[in-house]
Amino acid sequence: MNRLPQWIKRGLQLAGVSGLVLLTGCERPPMESVQHGYRGTGMVQVYNPTQVEKSVEANQVPEAQPPAAAEGPKAGQVYQNVKVLGDLSVGQFARLMTSMTNWVAPGEGCAYCHNPANFAEDSKYTKVVARRMVEMTQFINTNWKSHVADTGVTCYTCHRGQPVPQAVWFKSAEQPLGANFIGDKAGQNSPAASVKLTSLPNDPFTPFLLEAKEIRVNGNTALPSGNRQSIKQAEWTYGLMTHMASSLGVNCTYCHNTQSFAKWEGGPPQRTTAWHGIRMARNLNLDYLEPLTDTFPAHRKGELGDVAKLNCATCHQGAYKPLNGASMLKDYPELGHSAHAAGALTPTEVAKASAAMTPTKQ
Amino acid sequence: MAMLSFEKKYRVRGGTLVGGDLFDFWMGPFYVGFFGVTTAFFSLLGTALILWGASQGPTWNLWQISIAPPDLSYGLRFAPLLEGGLWQLITVCAIGAFVSWALREVEICRKLGMGYHVPAAFGVAIFAYVTLVVIRPVLLGAWGHGFPYGIFSHLDWVSNVGYQYLHFHYNPAHMIAVSFFFATTLALSLHGGLVLSSTNPGKGEVVKTPEHEDTYFRDIIGYSVGTLGIHRLGLFMALAAGLFSALCIVLSGPFWSRGWPEWWGWWLNMPIWSQWPLK
Amino acid sequence: MSQYLNLFTTVQATGPLHDGIALGQGNSPRSGQPFLSYWLGKLGNAQLGPVYLGGLGLASLIFGTLAFNIIGFNMLASVNWDPIQFIRQLFWLALEPPPPAYGLSIPPMNQGGWYLLASAFLLLSVMLWWVRTYRRARQLGMGTHIPWAFAAAIWLFLVLGLFRPLLMGAWSEAVPYGIFPHLDWTAAFSLRYGNLFYNPFHALSIAFLYGSTLLFAMHGATILAVSHFGGEREIEQIVDRGTASERAALFWRWTMGFNATMESIHRWAWWFAVLCPLVGGIGILLTGTVVDNWYLWAVKHGVAPPYPDVFPAVTDPALSTGVKP
Repeated sequence: MNRLPQWIKRGLQLAGVSGLVLLTGCERPPMESVQHGYRGTGMVQVYNPTQVEKSVEANQVPEAQPPAAAEGPKAGQVYQNVKVLGDLSVGQFARLMTSMTNWVAPGEGCAYCHNPANFAEDSKYTKVVARRMVEMTQFINTNWKSHVADTGVTCYTCHRGQPVPQAVWFKSAEQPLGANFIGDKAGQNSPAASVKLTSLPNDPFTPFLLEAKEIRVNGNTALPSGNRQSIKQAEWTYGLMTHMASSLGVNCTYCHNTQSFAKWEGGPPQRTTAWHGIRMARNLNLDYLEPLTDTFPAHRKGELGDVAKLNCATCHQGAYKPLNGASMLKDYPELGHSAHAAGALTPTEVAKASAAMTPTKQ
Repeated sequence: MAMLSFEKKYRVRGGTLVGGDLFDFWMGPFYVGFFGVTTAFFSLLGTALILWGASQGPTWNLWQISIAPPDLSYGLRFAPLLEGGLWQLITVCAIGAFVSWALREVEICRKLGMGYHVPAAFGVAIFAYVTLVVIRPVLLGAWGHGFPYGIFSHLDWVSNVGYQYLHFHYNPAHMIAVSFFFATTLALSLHGGLVLSSTNPGKGEVVKTPEHEDTYFRDIIGYSVGTLGIHRLGLFMALAAGLFSALCIVLSGPFWSRGWPEWWGWWLNMPIWSQWPLK
Repeated sequence: MSQYLNLFTTVQATGPLHDGIALGQGNSPRSGQPFLSYWLGKLGNAQLGPVYLGGLGLASLIFGTLAFNIIGFNMLASVNWDPIQFIRQLFWLALEPPPPAYGLSIPPMNQGGWYLLASAFLLLSVMLWWVRTYRRARQLGMGTHIPWAFAAAIWLFLVLGLFRPLLMGAWSEAVPYGIFPHLDWTAAFSLRYGNLFYNPFHALSIAFLYGSTLLFAMHGATILAVSHFGGEREIEQIVDRGTASERAALFWRWTMGFNATMESIHRWAWWFAVLCPLVGGIGILLTGTVVDNWYLWAVKHGVAPPYPDVFPAVTDPALSTGVKP
């Protein structure tokens, strides 16, 4: 080592230092790895224990309120303007209201939705939205068991103590300036967080989680037989899949053996759950969130005036199952079924309610 | 005797690392040496194990035969033969055979009075293989992270391990390695072409000189690396391709668990410009 | 025992600078005053320049610069002409081909028109450069092996940017100009066509890519290992075999049972390197035109490996009735 000329020693030192600098941009072992397929296929989930710890902390379920008596008069008889939760006892109703406040607006309290002088009034948009959201929650837990099973969801699953869930999406505005003659981005080629810093198309939500554009790009014959999907469309699907994988904190092999992405036989069952999840997201965005566009005030809408919509990250927030699979439904069975059966408020009724309400600044 | 016209005078004794004169002979054109014996042992044993493994598998189709590593649940222990233990034995044989081959090359270099560049370069390739089947699995805690021994099954492993990181092309070490692979191939075509263009100049022309070679490249791009330099450059780029490949895979998993595109966040959020939005 | 490995030149002997072999009629004079670079001299020749800049080269550079500028200004415009964002986002920026709906027609400038113009200029530039490599070889009385190797690379370039889009009926199939975006294209191409690892021409092309790297490591190392016998003087060794070539050949003969000669190794080299883009281009050209799904093609030809079932049975939910669409 002593016989090495000075410049070689310096060079090695520089290489060593740069190597360390490069590594500080990385993580370090040990890592947990979980096999998810036949041995040697490379279908493995790799978890950084530090990240896992953070995820466990971030996904703590708040303590349930002590159960309330089911006996006594019904909330619908005692209170006015109770449209959705009327079948609960007064005690259960109050309990749910307390929990909802903790789940959605712990800082703002009851007045976030209610006029304190008249709790029955629908003057605040938040109350109209909240009512619709209760219906949505019951709808998910009843009609989308193909995705949420018996674990189910509550307000907390998305809101996590925030009035607006941390992960929602809006349509993006038209590309500004210079876009007429030169410099078209074609909806991609930007480091967008929505697609985890790839340069893939950065709004895969509008075509796939709001509209029902075809996600599949593979044909089912070896030779061409009419599959007209383009490479560009494959990029859009890839963008959606990147979002899905990172929203769940998993990688592509969680649902696929990439030997053949299209093949279902012999593949992981998680893919079926995800398939239903996509349909569920579309259903909720179209039938519950979009109809609330006129209910929300301008400051809650996107730059194109559209309402906040949900995607996989809204519930999952980086966990393979929201809240790492913990079920809150067992403590809140009233959210687990639709009291209104198929009825509930139609979009028209929602629109009427928001038109009737006096605009209040929040 | 399978000897070239000038070969006899070079077949002298000596240069061995181990064993003295015992294995210092040739079989046909092949030099044996102590490490020739160990190579033969490991490769025959390894091949026999592969063939036996194939016989216990579902097919003899050459493209579909696959010897898979153990389940991750076995950690760094020995797995039962038919549950991945065979893969482990074959891997030991492979490493034994490759290292033996390299050491045999050293003995041949010593006998011919050559530098050790070839076995050293081969050592880099062996290092890349060992990174894939030993170093990275040890860092991740299980032999099952190695790749299966099968023509198409090893490609399925590459595909799946790549997609573990969502978009493997964004791995910066992978980008450098790929660039070195393409640059090496480009440089090889240029070097092969240049030498052949001097020695096969076409109808009616005489064989050219290194001055012609240098002039050609200076005329075209302003620089010619020269006859010695091109061999240094080629060797360097080829080894760099292998080393950065080993680096790119050892980073994936032990030193990075998320998607590789996300790694680039450090650049986008550098303090010099993090105060401005990415619009 | 330590060896001198001849990896770097420890003592650089400097002599008179070489102005190049004299050219015949019809050639321009060479440009630039040659000079020496000490650091280059540690690895190879120290001399930089002179360069030959004739009409073909000049035209090629002009068109190439135009293409480069069209790409660059489109990228700059896409970040609102902000130079800091340009540098910050550079790897993500691109000039995109037209959307699929335009087929093979000429689209508006900002919907792929700039892309087609840049591509046309780039094509012209590359072709002119090819002619340059051909002419320079001929003017020096040398063989045209390098131009023909270059032609293999141009074949791949044309397949990706011209032939395949024409056969597929859409310019949108071509590759975007951009660092990360062209990688997205590569991944999307494999995703769309059923996993390119199962394309046999892709597999062959990779074999030649890795094979070329292997060969250059082998050849580079071999020559360096006999450089103290003058092994790097390859032309001389080819026409008058010396001990360097003999030892190099015997090394490989004794190692693997056969060997090349000082000339034939360069033929191995040329063919391995040329076959990589040649065969690769064929593989790209067949994708989408002749084969739509390479995995299914492989299954059809009995090449795709099966794996034991480890999951409970799963079927495509889109195929079952009574499921929400």
